[in-house]
Amino acid sequence: MQVKYSYLDEQFADVEAYLQDLRKLVSTGEFTLGPFVEAFEKKFAAYIGVKHAIGTNTGTGALTLCLKAVGVKPGNEVITVANTFIASAGAIVAAGARPVFVDCDERYQIDVSKIEGALSPSTAAIMPVHWAGCSPEMDRVLEIADRHAIPVVEDSCPAVGASINGQSAGTFGRVNAFSMHPLKPLNVWGDGGIIVTNDDQAAAFLRLYQNHGLVDRDHVEFWGVNERLQPVQAVVASRVLDTIEDLVEARIRNARRLDAGLKGLENYITSPYRPEGYREVYQLYLATATRRDELLSFLVSRGIEAKVHYPIPIHLQNAARDLGYQRGSFPVCERQADEIITLPAHQHITDEQIDFIISVIHEFYGIH
Amino acid sequence: MQAVESVLDSGRYVLGPEVKAFEQEFAEHCQSKFAIGVASGTCALHLVLRGLGLKEGDEVITAPNSFIASAATVALAGARPVFVDICEDGNLNPERLEDAINHRTRGIVPVHLTGRPAKMKEIMQIADRHDLFVLEDAAQSLGATLDGNHVGSWGDAACFSLHPLKNLHAFGDGGMVTSQNPDLVAHLAKSRNHGLADREQCDFWGFNCRLDEIQAAMLRVQLRRLDAWTHTRRTLAHRYNDLLRPYVNVPDEGPGEHCVFQTYVIKAERRDELKIFLNENGVEALVHYATPIHLQPAAADLGYTAEDFPVTMDHVGKIISLPLYPMLTHAQQDRVAELISFFYQNN
Repeated sequence: MQVKYSYLDEQFADVEAYLQDLRKLVSTGEFTLGPFVEAFEKKFAAYIGVKHAIGTNTGTGALTLCLKAVGVKPGNEVITVANTFIASAGAIVAAGARPVFVDCDERYQIDVSKIEGALSPSTAAIMPVHWAGCSPEMDRVLEIADRHAIPVVEDSCPAVGASINGQSAGTFGRVNAFSMHPLKPLNVWGDGGIIVTNDDQAAAFLRLYQNHGLVDRDHVEFWGVNERLQPVQAVVASRVLDTIEDLVEARIRNARRLDAGLKGLENYITSPYRPEGYREVYQLYLATATRRDELLSFLVSRGIEAKVHYPIPIHLQNAARDLGYQRGSFPVCERQADEIITLPAHQHITDEQIDFIISVIHEFYGIH
Repeated sequence: MQAVESVLDSGRYVLGPEVKAFEQEFAEHCQSKFAIGVASGTCALHLVLRGLGLKEGDEVITAPNSFIASAATVALAGARPVFVDICEDGNLNPERLEDAINHRTRGIVPVHLTGRPAKMKEIMQIADRHDLFVLEDAAQSLGATLDGNHVGSWGDAACFSLHPLKNLHAFGDGGMVTSQNPDLVAHLAKSRNHGLADREQCDFWGFNCRLDEIQAAMLRVQLRRLDAWTHTRRTLAHRYNDLLRPYVNVPDEGPGEHCVFQTYVIKAERRDELKIFLNENGVEALVHYATPIHLQPAAADLGYTAEDFPVTMDHVGKIISLPLYPMLTHAQQDRVAELISFFYQNN
């Protein structure tokens, strides 16, 4: 039995409806911002429950723009985690600032108790990541940020649909970013991102900044960038958004089946603690495993496309060599880099496939 | 739509086979060794300027009458945009370049505006003499040649835009870089994709500026038609020139120039009145661009004034872009000419 990691061919097996939408777009020639992007932004803002949504070309671009919008300047520091996709830190550098990392907890989320130790007079933002589609303890993050009057930017890139006690990811910080990369819960046919905020001033700044600083066709208020959501992708995202709740529920169901199947293997492989009230969207289904590399090879040899996100933490990447970290800087994150494994748990996996994954894991550890 | 479906069938949406194939075909088309796809023309300029290693305090010279991105990307990359005036042809005046060069100058970004090549022979000589890089802003000039050499084959690198209003256009944003320099191209291949050498190893802080796979698929289809489109544009532009020469200053090609007429720009007396007259009579005439970059609020800190670039200011007051696209009919052209003739004979 094959269990593929990517589900895109299945998700978009029936493309006729999408192509009809795209034909409509092509017939209008609205290929730069315009009504299709605006319509999607309104729909997404309503889904998340915010005043403003601003589409961007990528999730990475969205993060950089969020940081700019909360006033991050060259020479500032921004606090985030080292166990995330490289773009979280790359976006900080692109905004001219320096990434300052803190360790993570056993839920793979930012260890909130470490944040205050990382603050400095140069700290201009705290950027917690909803890593793997699961939310960090946002109330505690906000409490610290408020006490020190530092803005929070949520890197909710992997977490469309995630929430804490009914409050959506992307509504805790001041200006917050989502990605719509093909392997995110709300996905498009290429790159796409979207920023959400209730801050009118930030939204007004972002609308100009994302489009070359152009107030109108002839007037440039300040140096800006080209960081626009493509209308083609807005059309795709809009249709996927109609299905997002079903899609997230399917992921949750599959993750629960995997959680249940791993019961009894606690000495070998464990899924993280899942606190009450946290709705995870399982952009990645992460578990901590002994003999991880062997398990990974074994699963792959049996046709199960497991992966590791990621084997090298950001502070140990070549790119980070000037930041002054070394092995040992973040012990939990470094240990997890050697132990975590990502199992396929997307919305198109069948119960039979999940049971197969579980049986292969049992077989690997010699438990029957 | 077939091209889009083939991407969907493959399930590969990011930096897949379509981008790779388009890069090869584009490089061949530009007589360039390498081409690399990015998210937009602006990204192309920004990534190359970063890749060339600009530092705070460096200066880069460009034209003040371009689209804002030519200068904005210099500022984004941490350097200071410096402007020099243009010639009658609307492009950088090589004779003004040396006045602007000092010990902080790192490079020149000549713009091939409206699809007309800048005076690259003279610009390259000056750049060589002062050891400056040359990044051609070819956003509007894919296919243009000077003395038989394609734009994009002269400098250290060139940037192209595939914006919907360009000759070769994506259904959204897209850009390309061409270069003969393998080190720069290797750098760009990483910097457009987070600095990633592979899935796990990040060599330097980069960006996400990738050309979309589905855009690449559609662009490949268009690239096969580009030469025919360009031929039609040129024929129509030459026809406009003949029709309009009695009334306005028309964009005749200079010696050795093969222009692609991304926009068809004439210089007209009483431009604002003419524009209103044309617009009122159903002709979508535009001005590219009404405010030069050095006078934009964004450039306030650079300290330029309206007296700095007289030729640019003369252009800005007279230029007007007339409709030109491959589907434009002779009857439509005749109508535009008739209106312009009427305007000058009866006012």
